[in-house]
Amino acid sequence: MDRLVEIRDLRVAFDGVPVLHGIDLDVAPGEALGLVGESGCGKSVTWLAALGLLPAKARVTGSVRLGAGELVGAPREALETVRGKRIAMIFQDPSSALNPVIRVGRQICEALRLHRDLRGAAAKAEAIRLMEMVGIPDAPRRFDLYTHEFSGGQCQRLMIAMALAGRPDLLIADEPTTALDATIQAQILELLARLRRETGMATVFISHDLGAVAQICERVCVMYAGRIVEAGPVERLFAHPRHPYTRGLFDAIPQMTGPRRRLVPIPGTVPDPRALPPGCAFAPRCTRAHDACSRARPDLLAQPDGRTLACAYPVPEARADSFSMERAMT
Amino acid sequence: MSRPLLLEARDLVRIYRSRRGLTGAVTEVRAVDEVSLKLRAGETLGIVGESGSGKSTLGRMLLGLDPAQGGTVLFEGMPLPRFGTPIWRRLRSRMQMVWQDPLSALDRRLTVAAQIREPLDIHRIGTPEERPARTASLMTAVGLRADQGGRYPHELSGGQRQRVVIARALATNPALLVCDEPVSALDVSIQAQVVNLLRDLQGQKGLGMVFISHDLKVVRNLADRVAVMYLGRIVEEGPAEQIFAEPRHPYTQALVSSIPVPGRPLDARILLQGEPPNPAARPPGCAFHPRCPLAQGLCRTRVPALRVPEPGRAVACHVTAGAQSPVAA
Repeated sequence: MDRLVEIRDLRVAFDGVPVLHGIDLDVAPGEALGLVGESGCGKSVTWLAALGLLPAKARVTGSVRLGAGELVGAPREALETVRGKRIAMIFQDPSSALNPVIRVGRQICEALRLHRDLRGAAAKAEAIRLMEMVGIPDAPRRFDLYTHEFSGGQCQRLMIAMALAGRPDLLIADEPTTALDATIQAQILELLARLRRETGMATVFISHDLGAVAQICERVCVMYAGRIVEAGPVERLFAHPRHPYTRGLFDAIPQMTGPRRRLVPIPGTVPDPRALPPGCAFAPRCTRAHDACSRARPDLLAQPDGRTLACAYPVPEARADSFSMERAMT
Repeated sequence: MSRPLLLEARDLVRIYRSRRGLTGAVTEVRAVDEVSLKLRAGETLGIVGESGSGKSTLGRMLLGLDPAQGGTVLFEGMPLPRFGTPIWRRLRSRMQMVWQDPLSALDRRLTVAAQIREPLDIHRIGTPEERPARTASLMTAVGLRADQGGRYPHELSGGQRQRVVIARALATNPALLVCDEPVSALDVSIQAQVVNLLRDLQGQKGLGMVFISHDLKVVRNLADRVAVMYLGRIVEEGPAEQIFAEPRHPYTQALVSSIPVPGRPLDARILLQGEPPNPAARPPGCAFHPRCPLAQGLCRTRVPALRVPEPGRAVACHVTAGAQSPVAA
């Protein structure tokens, strides 16, 4: 496989407490990859570490290769040619990521100057084109407004415009729709899907919303307690989740069709990274766990159907079939 | 529908005044605009809408926490007393609220048992000797272990904290519980635990519940009836099953179709143009018309009345409600 980014054994520790326990992840050019998991599972930390955006107290080891270059431990100057230019990132809360006292047009122009050396009228014209591309109506007039004069959804569009300024090969979207209203969420998802079609940039979509991930991603990685527990093509993995945690996430979502039923929560809570259970970190919450699960941690292994899975007693294929039948009927 | 009426709101209006800058003109925001609703004992009413739709303000008004400029709230048939008066305080033991962020709703310097017990002390429920046992039974009822009573809020997880808030709200045996986005701040797996807890309470206590949320999936799972709000007004109301299966108002239709469902392609959705308008600059006529795919001439000039196209349902739309349908009382 042609690879744009290659992450190998990426580990992160804060104050000596490991929170990311060796992530192996590839992103192909133009691919849409989803990263799913609950808060604290390490899905954001993976990319903040890759881009050198973690505070100094974080200890990052392993390797993140972008083309021929190594990002882990790279000097600041080298990272600055990557951040925003080759890999851009947008965040959950756009209004806190934009500068409230600088006009939005100038903020986009600044990105254009840094990444593409555009200045003056050329930068302004390109900034307006980007604003129109992300769906800001009446862009020439609104070029000179401040962020508080835009709604939350429009601020997210502006963030995306700024991210596009460097013509990145990869856009990391970290919970980009979580803070937005339902109808606006739908618009932003549509925008991200359209931009990927039009520009051919790869997208990593970090989200806890399985529905949103299903709609815009081709491949998905499910993370739990700092490790990838299951990964594979979206349709296969979502139709037949095999890791009990993936399956549990689906069961916990209320359905929009069919009879109302009691939800099936995952018992317990996410473990404290300072006191991870021995063996499989999910074992204490897992309904399928055997004694062995709390002794030995299962490795992430390739499966015949193209997914990777880290579980000693996964949801069997047969039961996965009946699960999808039941799903199709409701 | 034989159960007694617990709560009734008639034509509630809440206006916020704001000024742009020091010398700017005062603008009025009608956060809640002539909202009427009824809740029977044991029933759960879901209120859905996007930010700025007035759903949280409405929730606060139902408890008298936010004064109404117009309209009345009747609790068990009696008008709600004024905020802060002794009668209102006494009544508050019968109506409680659960907030979105449990950490800011709890006192971080008190143990959780002390906080669950506090309403018992305030409302003098039981003798002081009985209260520790009652506190312990409340903790068990919401799925907390009695030994967790000595913990402080920061020592608990988000889901456990929300359980503490719910236990505290239930301490006085309320008849009405208003929940404002109670599970929005929680992770999916924990969300399900709290939703199940609320469902159990519905069954056990005959508790009337107003459940305010932007998450339609959760509302569908909990509510008997649903009211959809847009810019301060109810635009559609009806049984939860029907609202989600056959929404009639174009806004509800877009809202329901905007929920990402695994397996449904993106382009199968109704994608609304634009954003919810600023409540301070409400469009004339139907407030939804600038985004509405069905808008006609009339929609731009006249506010549609809430009509009853079939018993139990109400829709405020010139196009889909049917002009012949009777106007909701």
